[in-house]
Amino acid sequence: MIAEAIRNRERAIVPYVTAGLKGLDATGEIIRALDAEGAALIEVGIPFSDPMADGPVLQKASHMALLSGFTLDGLFGRLGTWSASVRAPLVIMSYINPLMRRGLEETVARFRDSGVEGVIIPDLPLEAGDIYELCLKAGLDLIRLVAPTTPEARRREVVSQCGGFVYAVTVRGVTGARADLPAGVRDQVAGIRAFTNLPVCAGFGVSSADQVSRMLAFSDGVIVGSHLMARVLEAHDPVETARLTFASLMN
Amino acid sequence: MNGYFGEFGGQYVPETLLPALTELEEAFAAASKDPSFRGEYGAYLRDYVGRPSPMTHARRISGNLGIDVYLKREDLNHTGSHKINNALGQILLARRMGKGRVIAETGAGQHGVATATVCALFGLPCAVYMGSEDIERQKLNVERMRLLGAEVVPVTSGSATLKDATSEAIRDWVANEDTTYYLIGSAIGPHPYPTLVREFQRVIGTEARAQILKKAGRLPDAVIACVGGGSNAIGIFAGFRNDPVELIGVEAYGDGKSRHGASIRFGTPGVLHGTRSFLLQDEDGQVRETHSVSAGLDYPGVGPEHSFLATTQRAHYELVDDARALSAFTMLNRLEGIAPALESAHAVGYLEQYAKDHQGAVVVVNLSGRGDKDLHTVLKEGL
Repeated sequence: MIAEAIRNRERAIVPYVTAGLKGLDATGEIIRALDAEGAALIEVGIPFSDPMADGPVLQKASHMALLSGFTLDGLFGRLGTWSASVRAPLVIMSYINPLMRRGLEETVARFRDSGVEGVIIPDLPLEAGDIYELCLKAGLDLIRLVAPTTPEARRREVVSQCGGFVYAVTVRGVTGARADLPAGVRDQVAGIRAFTNLPVCAGFGVSSADQVSRMLAFSDGVIVGSHLMARVLEAHDPVETARLTFASLMN
Repeated sequence: MNGYFGEFGGQYVPETLLPALTELEEAFAAASKDPSFRGEYGAYLRDYVGRPSPMTHARRISGNLGIDVYLKREDLNHTGSHKINNALGQILLARRMGKGRVIAETGAGQHGVATATVCALFGLPCAVYMGSEDIERQKLNVERMRLLGAEVVPVTSGSATLKDATSEAIRDWVANEDTTYYLIGSAIGPHPYPTLVREFQRVIGTEARAQILKKAGRLPDAVIACVGGGSNAIGIFAGFRNDPVELIGVEAYGDGKSRHGASIRFGTPGVLHGTRSFLLQDEDGQVRETHSVSAGLDYPGVGPEHSFLATTQRAHYELVDDARALSAFTMLNRLEGIAPALESAHAVGYLEQYAKDHQGAVVVVNLSGRGDKDLHTVLKEGL
């Protein structure tokens, strides 16, 4: 259960891992290492050729993963083993096109059968209610994003059609580490809490243990993607690098 | 559903952008109903762009092919293509919305030049995203944009062409939506862009319909236009949608084998750049790299309304490869004294095939742009 997995952690950090970066075998080992270091849950990112919500680091991670031969079938061949071997729930993060290509319903069902518990889609259409229902029926949480620009009426609608946790996008802009804590995050998270009992996790731009601590003062969890993948991209030993990078955020 | 053409279209964008799209939709709806906006737009089209653009009877080509060919001369617009119609409409909208900065994507550079031009006209800062490969093959337009005061931002990610430039422009917009107007150049992207661009290009079809009735004394049998994203085609089609006129879009068939930009013919429905439409993609939904000798048609998607027109069979979409487009380029130079853009040369390149089964027919070809920018490419291809 995603919500419980976040609530049960005193320091709930959600790492994002681009599937297939340095090969799918490395991805599996990275996931196990992050789990051992106490990740609350783990986002498995499906690489996409045109990641329009991502900054340079995740664009590159996606590109490298595709170059090294990532396929959805390859992922499905391993996901079940991964999810069975870790304590942290796995959630899929993917642009909508790879999920729709072979039918959204069929693809979502395959994820559920592989032990995945939730899905995050950064380019959901305006009318995402149908997709929420579809995921609900399949037994998956559709984790929705709320942006700093999201008006109150839309915020209310989004969190009413959201499962697992609410993903508070803390910056105006694409993914990528930023030095400072964005202004207004605290109010933004409070604005989400007004309409839901789901945990609220903050993401986009997080790069240090200090930022994590400050964000956890008002949110239930913190998502870390680009900071982690930037180091994995450059690493000779991606598994150990991922483990050490994550461990430094935990303390 | 709002923002859809049948099953195509929609708003598949980061949550951050949804309010900006709503704001744009409302501003456009209000402007469309405002006589002063329409008056201002019309006046700029007349006094700055030089509209109406003429329609030319292509006498020698008609004689050779046995059909009556009329060219809608968008190449004679200020800045040399149909792109200015849309850029002008959108910049007036941006001003109305109080946006202080403009961004755009460009492939061949025609839309970039049109955007840089209207930004110079109204004194707005402008950044144009352009694939580094396109910068290389469209040097003249890059220099023109810089001369006009625009910043040309090279995009090196992915295939370094129009699709990557579009992604990069969207990334800029996600970060700056409160201050920045995204002036999209084709009938693509999330709602309301495909509709908005069609409405600002509709002037081509409205004029062409009146002109052909006057010149040929009747409606044409067919209207032919090239389709990359499809803005010139959707604009001219708009004038003939409710008439018994065959609408023919011409897609870029590249090398005539596996490398091309023919999304409607060879693609499957998918989501790219915020809209659901036919898309060249692999089994995993990864977008495929495309190729066309013309940078403006080198795009793996297509405007959602074209996908709708194709599936409802109101329009049909044909193929012209690099070689036939290049020979059409030469033919139009030699027979009519007109150098078409390589994009437009694809539409001209379809005429020979059309003429085989339609002797005596009257056709209107949208000559969407002029070819000065392509001389470099054409000479390199060895003509």
